[in-house]
Amino acid sequence: MPAAAPGPAGASPGGRISGQALLILPALGLMLVFFVAPYLNLLLISVFTPSHQAPYLRVFTLANYGHIVHDPFTWQVVWRSLWLGVVTTGLSVVLAYPLAYHLARTPRRMKGLFMILVISPLLVGVLIRTYGWMILLQDTGLINQLLHAVGMRRAPLMYNQTGVLIGLVHVFIPFMVLSLAGSIQGIDPELELEARSLGAGAWRTFWRVTFPLSLPGLAAGTILVFVLAISSYVIPSLLGGFTVITVPILVVRTITELFNWPGGSAFALLFFVITMLLVWCYIRLIGRVTRPVT
Amino acid sequence: MAEISLRGLTKRFGNVVAVNELTLTFASGELVALLGPSGCGKTTTLRMIAGFETPSHGRVLLGDRDVTEAPPEKRSCGMVFQNYALFPHLTVHQNIAFGLEMQGVRRADIDRMVAEILDKVGLGGLGKRYPRQLSGGQQQRTALARALVINPSVLLLDEPLANLDAKLREEMRFYIRSLQREFHITTLYVTHDQSEALVLADRVAVLMDGVLQQFDAPEIVYRRPRTARVASFIGLTNLIPGRVAARAGDDVVLETSIGRLRARGPEDLGGGMEAVLSIRPENIELGRREAAVAGDGVNRLRGIIRERIFLGSFFDYRVDVGAGTLLRVQGGVHAVHQMADEVTVAFDASSGWTLPGGRG
Amino acid sequence: MVIRRERLYLLLAVGLIYAFLLAPIVVVVLAALNSGAYLRFPPDGISLRWFAAFAHSRSFTRSLAFSVELAAIVTVVATVLGTMASLWLARSVGRFRDLMRVLVISPLAVPGILTGIALLIFFYALGWSRTGLLGLIIGHTLISLPYVFLITSAVLVRFDRTLEEAARNLGAGLATTFWRVTLPLIKGGIISGAIFAFVTSYDEFNISLFLSGVGTTPLPIEIFDYLRFSFDPTAAVAGTISIAMALVVVLVTQRLVGLDSLYLGGG
Repeated sequence: MPAAAPGPAGASPGGRISGQALLILPALGLMLVFFVAPYLNLLLISVFTPSHQAPYLRVFTLANYGHIVHDPFTWQVVWRSLWLGVVTTGLSVVLAYPLAYHLARTPRRMKGLFMILVISPLLVGVLIRTYGWMILLQDTGLINQLLHAVGMRRAPLMYNQTGVLIGLVHVFIPFMVLSLAGSIQGIDPELELEARSLGAGAWRTFWRVTFPLSLPGLAAGTILVFVLAISSYVIPSLLGGFTVITVPILVVRTITELFNWPGGSAFALLFFVITMLLVWCYIRLIGRVTRPVT
Repeated sequence: MAEISLRGLTKRFGNVVAVNELTLTFASGELVALLGPSGCGKTTTLRMIAGFETPSHGRVLLGDRDVTEAPPEKRSCGMVFQNYALFPHLTVHQNIAFGLEMQGVRRADIDRMVAEILDKVGLGGLGKRYPRQLSGGQQQRTALARALVINPSVLLLDEPLANLDAKLREEMRFYIRSLQREFHITTLYVTHDQSEALVLADRVAVLMDGVLQQFDAPEIVYRRPRTARVASFIGLTNLIPGRVAARAGDDVVLETSIGRLRARGPEDLGGGMEAVLSIRPENIELGRREAAVAGDGVNRLRGIIRERIFLGSFFDYRVDVGAGTLLRVQGGVHAVHQMADEVTVAFDASSGWTLPGGRG
Repeated sequence: MVIRRERLYLLLAVGLIYAFLLAPIVVVVLAALNSGAYLRFPPDGISLRWFAAFAHSRSFTRSLAFSVELAAIVTVVATVLGTMASLWLARSVGRFRDLMRVLVISPLAVPGILTGIALLIFFYALGWSRTGLLGLIIGHTLISLPYVFLITSAVLVRFDRTLEEAARNLGAGLATTFWRVTLPLIKGGIISGAIFAFVTSYDEFNISLFLSGVGTTPLPIEIFDYLRFSFDPTAAVAGTISIAMALVVVLVTQRLVGLDSLYLGGG
């Protein structure tokens, strides 16, 4: 792979540095001013005082964090979000593995087709896909119509946790598939064939050979899906009605309906930190298991 | 056609010195092979001449122009890359025309010149093809044509034959040589293949660990290597360590663990100095022990055949001459010896060359 | 014999899961074409009445036009900045380089809601209250740029730098080399990145939630509001448009660049 060359002669002494740097400056500027700065500002706001006349008063206080930590309701919401994240991740692992395995082992010519099937949903957007689920999961939706038609009772699939889970799993499966497929593709099919020829059944082969070697992809995928799932706003809103309250919903409500910017910011940041901590612990745990196998 | 002059050229990458104080001058129109094992700094040197690396120290002169600070596009070198670097999105014709377009040559002239050189390199009529539609040899010739058509003052070739199969490589070797002679262009030819260097070059510069070991005509590098490393890199040789016992003009008498040997040596190798005798396998004769004939200037040793490998046109022997020394000898098929035969090992003093010893 | 049966099970599972994956998308298109207001099985019949309803809806058509305009501007900005960034990254070394890569990609790693809130509060702090189109452009560029960056980087990694050296050796300066050699060979990646950026902006909801205003309402926000209260398939028409766009983008990207540059993690 071409390594970055130190650069050809002939650029002026300061010229070589500034010429190339020009390429990154606009993006860097954008990121610093409109990404890093706003987040730092958010941190600042979280320690200001809420007010009724203005979005916030520039008076330092840690009360926002205090309220959150002492309020059992917020912990319920946090717990609910984390739980949804874990279950979503678990389910998407189970559903994504067959797709990923199939995709990784598909001959090159056909791979494009399946990549299209996996990636197109991502580009359709969360909102539209959630809407599709609304049509399917409603009490008068397609699925319940079918159940009714065969004489079964209607199942409450929407405006509850079930609906939210279905939506979350559905939306984030492609990410898991892409993560896993990358890893599985790196596993030499010979290894699996050998295991089979030695008498191992399909399940055994999967558990002993494929699964361990796909752990890097699994690790990346689970982290990705978990973080995305707990950050989701649209799906719990539309598919959960008012019964499923997750952190993003509570944050949005705090900011836009209660106009408590400091409180909302503090809550959002706290949750963000909790998430990062969990992910970090997870990575440490996984780290021992995902030593790359050559 | 310009000469190339390198003065104290040095390149450091962090703590590694890739090229160390390289000073070299090529005469106009000559083909110099830059030879050395992988990682010796030869490609780095080439890239510094072309302008793709900036020297840490030293100057590069093309003709009488100091180009050390000049960007690659202002140096008037034509370069052929190891992977040919043909533009995949342009046809053969467009590839070759590229350099001429950069020079601002008129369209009509460009087309004419490209057609001419395509014919010259035997690719006439292939102008509309894309590089991926060409064979390896054809791509090679396209790369050559592209470099030559711009009439550069200097031609730089980076292991141009490395990606070709053996037979094609041989053909292309002579082809490149004749092309170079025809254009009479000063050429630097980087290679790790010593037989290639010996066949093609007017002079060979041997580079090892970034340091110039020797810069001479091929025959001299082969017969009179300056160091033991050069001797063993170029062709096969036996190296026998010893101490200089006496000097007389060209002659050297060496005291070694297998006896007193006579050979030739350079002037600066004085008495008492540590030395290494280099004698190439093809210069050693094996005879049956009884057929010992006395004569001046011939070294004789007794040995036992320890190994014998049949290589078609000759045998490759390992002969034990005592003191743990195994000499490699190559002999013709007509004088065959068997394993464990006792033989006389003989070589002329004039075929042996002494090198400074110590750090071989 | 044994192996073939297992392969069958796998294919069956794969088929079912793909059906699960595509069901809601198919359903949206069916709903848009359905003659009735509720999707029934067996279906009522095909009709374009909802497309007509969509076309007649001021709010929908206005926000559609706005979303397209917004996405177009964001695409230009994100593509230029993102391509420049990946060019820089492909040619540099050192820790600063790794830091930059993380920075450019980070908007994808943090919750969109959080970014939206951060921007809303930040703009307010700057004294900028009616942020309108420009605010949305900034927000959308933050999440579109990483895609351009990732895709063009993947293409640049495969790009042979000796081609640029050959061009310079033949007399081309830096600009000419870029224009005549580099750009033609990476333009597939740039185009793919651009259309990814377009669709990402067009579909973006979380950031728009906080930055949209009166007259500057992207389509996803419009749909969301609509869906909270009504349920007729006019919204499905918008969905169908999105689906068609997604298909085009994916097909074009597969043609130009190949989708395997989008593998994440692992191999």
